[in-house]
Amino acid sequence: MNKAIGRTVVAGAGLSGIRSALDLAETGYKVLLIDTSDHIGGLLCQLDHQFPTSTCGYCRMLPMFDRDRSSQHCLRKGLVHENIDILLSTELISVEGEPGDLTVTLKQTPSLIDPDLCTGCGECETVCPVFVNDAFNEGLTKRKAIYLPSPQSFANAYTIDYAACTRCGECEKICPTGAVKFIEQDRETFKILVVDDEKIVRDSMKEWLKEEGFSVSTADSGQTALDLMGSQSFNMMLTDIKMPGMDGVALLTKAKQINEDLCVIMMTAYAEVDSAVGAMKQGALDYLTKPFDPDVLISMVVKIYHEFEIAEARVEKVDALILSGGTQFFRPELGKNSYGYGVLPGVITGLEFERLISGTGPGLDPGSGRLLHPQTGKPVRKMAWIQCVGSRDVHSGASFCSSVCCMISIKEAILAKEKFGRDLETTIFYMDMRTIGKTFDGYRLTAQEEKGVRFVRARIHSLSQDSQHADKGLHARYVDLGGIVHEEDFDLVVLATGQRPNQQMADLAAKNSIGTNAWGFIETQPFSMTRTSRAGILSGGSLSGLKDISESVTCSSAAALGACKVMHAAGKRRRPESDGEIPVDLARETPRILTVLCRCGSDFSKKLDVEVLEAGLARIPEIESLEIMDNLCTEEGWTTLIEMIEKKMPNRLVLGSCLSCSHKQKIKQLETSTGLASNLIETMDMVSVLKRYPGSHIREATQGIERELKILISKSRFKNPVPMERVASNQAALVIGGGIAGITSALSIADCGYHVDLIEKGESIGGNLLWMDKTVDGLDIQAYLDECVKRLESHEQITIHKQTRVASTAQRPGEFATVLQHEDKGHQTLLHGVTILATGGNQAPLEPAVGDSQYNVFTQKEFEMAIQDQTIHPEQLNSVVMIQCSGTRDERRNYCSRICCIRALKNALFLKEKNSDTQVYILYRDMMSYGFFEDYYTRAKTLGVIFFQYDLENKPVTEFTDGHCLVKTHDLLLDMPVEIEADCVIHATGILPDLPEALADQYGAALDGFHFFKEADSKFRPVDSMNYRVFSCGLSLKPCTIEEAVSSAEAAAIRAVRVLAHERLVSGKTVATTRTATCSLCEMCVDTCPYGARFVDSLEEKIVIDPAACQGCGVCAAVCPSGSAVLEGLGSQQMLDAIDMALS
Amino acid sequence: MGQTTNDRLLAMTETAKEMVGTCIQCGTCTASCPNTEFMDITPRHMWRLLLTDHMDAIFSSKSFIMCSSCYYCTLRCPRGLELTAAMSLLKQAASKLELKQFRRSSLFYKSFLDSVKKHGRVKEMEFMTQYFMAMKNPVLPFAYAVLGLKLLSKGKVHPEFPFGSKGKLTALFNKVAELEG
Repeated sequence: MNKAIGRTVVAGAGLSGIRSALDLAETGYKVLLIDTSDHIGGLLCQLDHQFPTSTCGYCRMLPMFDRDRSSQHCLRKGLVHENIDILLSTELISVEGEPGDLTVTLKQTPSLIDPDLCTGCGECETVCPVFVNDAFNEGLTKRKAIYLPSPQSFANAYTIDYAACTRCGECEKICPTGAVKFIEQDRETFKILVVDDEKIVRDSMKEWLKEEGFSVSTADSGQTALDLMGSQSFNMMLTDIKMPGMDGVALLTKAKQINEDLCVIMMTAYAEVDSAVGAMKQGALDYLTKPFDPDVLISMVVKIYHEFEIAEARVEKVDALILSGGTQFFRPELGKNSYGYGVLPGVITGLEFERLISGTGPGLDPGSGRLLHPQTGKPVRKMAWIQCVGSRDVHSGASFCSSVCCMISIKEAILAKEKFGRDLETTIFYMDMRTIGKTFDGYRLTAQEEKGVRFVRARIHSLSQDSQHADKGLHARYVDLGGIVHEEDFDLVVLATGQRPNQQMADLAAKNSIGTNAWGFIETQPFSMTRTSRAGILSGGSLSGLKDISESVTCSSAAALGACKVMHAAGKRRRPESDGEIPVDLARETPRILTVLCRCGSDFSKKLDVEVLEAGLARIPEIESLEIMDNLCTEEGWTTLIEMIEKKMPNRLVLGSCLSCSHKQKIKQLETSTGLASNLIETMDMVSVLKRYPGSHIREATQGIERELKILISKSRFKNPVPMERVASNQAALVIGGGIAGITSALSIADCGYHVDLIEKGESIGGNLLWMDKTVDGLDIQAYLDECVKRLESHEQITIHKQTRVASTAQRPGEFATVLQHEDKGHQTLLHGVTILATGGNQAPLEPAVGDSQYNVFTQKEFEMAIQDQTIHPEQLNSVVMIQCSGTRDERRNYCSRICCIRALKNALFLKEKNSDTQVYILYRDMMSYGFFEDYYTRAKTLGVIFFQYDLENKPVTEFTDGHCLVKTHDLLLDMPVEIEADCVIHATGILPDLPEALADQYGAALDGFHFFKEADSKFRPVDSMNYRVFSCGLSLKPCTIEEAVSSAEAAAIRAVRVLAHERLVSGKTVATTRTATCSLCEMCVDTCPYGARFVDSLEEKIVIDPAACQGCGVCAAVCPSGSAVLEGLGSQQMLDAIDMALS
Repeated sequence: MGQTTNDRLLAMTETAKEMVGTCIQCGTCTASCPNTEFMDITPRHMWRLLLTDHMDAIFSSKSFIMCSSCYYCTLRCPRGLELTAAMSLLKQAASKLELKQFRRSSLFYKSFLDSVKKHGRVKEMEFMTQYFMAMKNPVLPFAYAVLGLKLLSKGKVHPEFPFGSKGKLTALFNKVAELEG
C-alpha cells in the first residue's frame, strides 16, 4: 500500500465547491479547495434567507459521522477539515495532463496581513483613510480599503483591497500585533511603456504612473514603441488604438511577437470599443475608454501589477479537477438599462434587496421596523418585482430562462411581507411563473393567498421618474390580461436579474480547450450534468447553467463522484481513518482547572478588574489558578501557554482569548503539544463578550466575564474524556429499482470499488427509459440505455436480482439485513451497509372521465408508445391537442411535474417535423420551459404550434360526438371560448412516485405530502434521508429529466460511497448512550430518535446505538422516563450546575 | 365577411403571422404603445387574434390603422419581433383588398403618397383636395374646415395648388413596386 493518496482540486469555494470538497474529504480523499475571493462560502454568504423556510441551512451540509474531523459551525464562518486544504485569493490558470495525472497551475495573491497574527481588533480600519463601495453589501454601504472580507467569517482576519489602498501605511503603524506588513514592493522594476500620438496624454499618464512608483517610458508612434522594445524589455504597455501609421492593434500583434508575456491595455475612444474588445481576443488584458479618470487607470495598472508580479504561481499535481465557479448575475447597467438601474433611485437588483434586509445589511430601521428606501431613507410602502431582467430577452443576449429567479422573487416578496408587515404592498410582474419543483407551486399559492403577494402576468418594459416629483416614486406602465393599460407608482422596484456564465471560468475554458455552449456556459456531455469535454475535469453546481441550491448541491455531489471514479481508476489510496485513541479516564481524579485569559485586546485592561475577577473565582475549589497573559496570538505567547500547562499540569483548561486563538485547529495543536485532550479545553471569545459591555462599566464587564468563565468552569469540571466510539460498517450497497437512476447509482458505486446488489421487481432493467425514444435534444435514449445495461450486466462488482422485491429488512449499527423475495426462487438475505431507494415513478394514469381510447385520447406516454407501435401515424394527423397539467397542480395533486411541458414541446416538434401541416395546439397554465429548454418553446412557436393559456376556473373539456373529438377551452387573453376539433388529444398527467410507504419506513426514510421521498433537507441534503445510510434518486425523489435523474443518482452514489469507504465509522465526541441497568425497554427513545440511531437488540434485550448516526441532539435523554438515556459529557448534573454557577 | 375574402386575407396575412409566431403575449407592446387608447383592440390582443386566425376580428377593428410606426414595440419586444412591420403588413392587406371599412384610411394614405410621388414631398392642399375627391363626399371638406383654417393661420400648410406637376419620384416608386412584385 505505497500508493499516493488521491487528490482533487476544487476551483470555487462557494456552495457547490464546498459540497464537492466535503463529499471527497469524507470519503477519505485529499482536496485542494481554491477560490478567487478572500472568503469561502460564495454567494450564499450574502444571502440570509432561503425558501421555503426563510432561514439559511448551510450547516446542514457538514459531515454527520466522524464529524470532529471538521469544524462544526456555520459554513459562512469558514470550513476546517483535516482532508481539505483551502487557498483563498487564488486563481486557476491552466490545467494539463490526463485524468489521474493532472498538472494545474494556480496563482495566489499574497495577503498583506498575516492571518495568524491578525486578531480582528479593527484598529487598522479606524485609521484607514480610504472609503470604497462595499461589494459585500452590493455597494449599498461604504467600507475602508482595509476590511473584514465577510461579517460572519470565523477567521476574523482583515484583508487589504490593494486596488483601492493608497499605501499610506497608517494601518501598519497602528497594528498591535504587527500583522500588517507592506511588502517592500519594488515598483521601480515594473517597466511601463505608454504609446500615444498625443503628447499631453503621454505626459500626464507618465506623471500619474510615476507617482505610484512605476518606471515609465513613452513613445509617440507604433514604430518608436517597437524600436524601444528592441533595446529594453517592458512589463506592460498601454497603447492608443487610433494612431497615424501603425495602429494600436497592429502594434499589439507585433509587440506580442517580441515579448509574449507583455501585459497590454488598449486605450480607445468610446466609438472604437468594438476594436478594443477585438484586441482583447488577440491578447490584450483590458481596455480604457478615453477620457479616463486617473484613479481608474491606476487601479487597473495596480491590479495587473499584483496579478502578474506579486502573485505567486504554484503548480500542483492532482488526479482530478472540479470546476465550481458558479454563475454571475446579469448586470442591467451594461445593457440598454431601460429600468434605469443605477440612475433612478429605488431600482435595485434582487441580491441588493437581500443585502438590504439582511441582519448585517443597511436597510432595517430598528425603531419602526420598517423597510427604508436605500437612497431617500423614507419608509417603503409599495414594492414591485420585475421578472426576466436579462433572461428570455433577445435584447440582452439571453434567449434562455434563468430557471431560479421566479422562486427567488416569490421568496423575497414573502420575506418583505413577513419582515415589514402586511401593509407593505408587494407585486410580482411576470411572463410565466416557473414553479418547477415539487413544493414550489404550493409556495406560490402561499404567497398569493396567505401572504397577499399580488401576481400580475405582464412585462414592464421601463421605469421612469418625474424629476420634479421624486416623492411619487417609480412610474411603471403595464397592460393587464383584459387589455387595460395601467399606470402605477412604486417606492422600490426589484429587478430579478438573470444569470450569466462565470467570466473567469469561461476564459479558463477557452484557454484550456474545455467546451462551452452557445451562451458561454460550460458544456457537459450527453446525459451527464458534470462531465466536460475533457476527461478528468468535471463541472459542479451552476457552472454548466442555471440551478437552484438543491440542484447545485446534487450536481456538485455528482461531480465529486466523477472525481472519485477518476481517483479509484488511477489506483489512488484513501486516507486511513482516525484511530479512536482511548483517552485517560479522569473520572476518579479531582478536576484541576487552569484558567487563562489573554489581555492583548485593548479593551481588556480598560474594562476588567482582574483582582475582583480573581476573588470571584477563588471560591471555586477546582480552580488551579487564574493566569493573565499577553499576545497569545504570537509565537512567544503560544509557547508561554504550553509551558504554563506543562508546569501546572492541569487536567482541564479554560481559555479566554480572541477568536483567532481559539478555533479548532489551534485547539488541536494544543492537544498535540500538551497531551491535554481537546474536549477538555473550553474556550471563550473575549472580544465578543466584552463588546456586550460598551462604555467603561468596569463592574458589569468584570461580572459578565466572571459569569461566562464560571459556566465554562462548571462545564469543564464534570467533563470526562469520552472515547470516540467506532462502529464496524458493512461495505456493500443495495440499490432498489432498476430504472436509469438505479442503474446509474449501482454503476457509480461499483466503479468506486464497492459491491452492489441491484434489485428490480420487473423482468427487465431500464424502467421508464424502455418506452422512450429520443430526448428533446434529439439524443438516442435506447442506445444510451443499452450501453448502461451492458456495463451493468458485465460489471464484476454488481449482482442483479430481477423479479425481486424486498420482503423485510432489519437494521443494526453499521448494517442492514434485507430479505429479498424472488418471484420463483424464494428468499435470500443480504447484508449491506447502505440502501439507495431508486424505485422510480410512473406517469399518472388518465382520469376515466377524460379518456376514451376510441377517440385517440392518450397520456404522453401512451402517445409516444402508439407512435412507436405505429398504431398512430403522425403524417396522417390533421389536428393534435395537448392538455398540460391534466389532473395536476390542482387541489388533488398540487405540484408541478417539471418535465411534462418539455415532453409536450418535444412531441409537438416531432409532429411538426413529420407533417408540417399538422395543427398542434398546446393548452397550458404556465409554460415550464426552464433553462435552455426555452429554445424549444421558441422553436415550437416558430413552427406554428398554437399555445392557449387556461386557468383553473376554465379547464379544457373534451367532448365526443359521432366519431369526432372536440376540445373546448377558453382563450384567457381574448376572453372567448375556443373549440378545436382534434384527431388526437394528449394529456400531460404528471408524475406519480412509486415508493411504497412501508418500504421507505423499513429503511427509516419518510415520504413527503405527495408520496415522494422526503429529503433530510430539501435544499442542502437533497438526496439524503434522516437515516445516514439511506438515499434516494430519480423519480422516487422528485420529478426530473433523464439528465437530472442521472445527476441525482450520482449524488446518491457518492453520498453512499462516503459511508462505504470506511470499514469502521468514528462517532462524534458527544454521543448518547443507554444505562442498560435502569432501562425498561419502553422503546420511546427508539421511536423518537430523528436520525434512526437507536435499535432494539432483542437477543441481548437492550437498546443499542449506532454512534456514527447519533448527532448528540439529546432528544432521547429528554423523552426517557427513567433517565437511562444519557448524553455523554452533557449530563443533567452538569447542566444544573452550569445554571447554578451562572446565577451565583 | 365572406369566406373567400377571409381566405384571401389569410393568405395575405400569413407573413405577418409568421413574423409574430414566437410572441409570448407578455404585453410589452401594448404597454409601450402611445396610441393604444385610440385602439379598440390592443396590440397584445391583436397578435393573439392573428396567431389564432381570427382575421375577421382583426379586420373589423381599426387598431392597426392607428399605428403611427413609432417603433416602440419593435424596440422593446423581448422576443425581438418586428411588430411595426407586421402592423404595416396588415395595413397593406387592408388596402390591397380594398376593404370597405378601410376605404377612408386607404384613400388617405394613397392621396398622401400620390402627392409625395409627384413632388418629392407632400403638398397639403393638393393632398387634401385629392382625398376629398376620392372620398366622393361633398360634406367631408367642411368637417376639416376648422382644422384647415387653424393650420393655415399658423403657416403649417401652404395654400398653393401645383396641380399637374410631373411625377418626380414616379421612377423610384415604380422600381419599388417592381422589386416587390
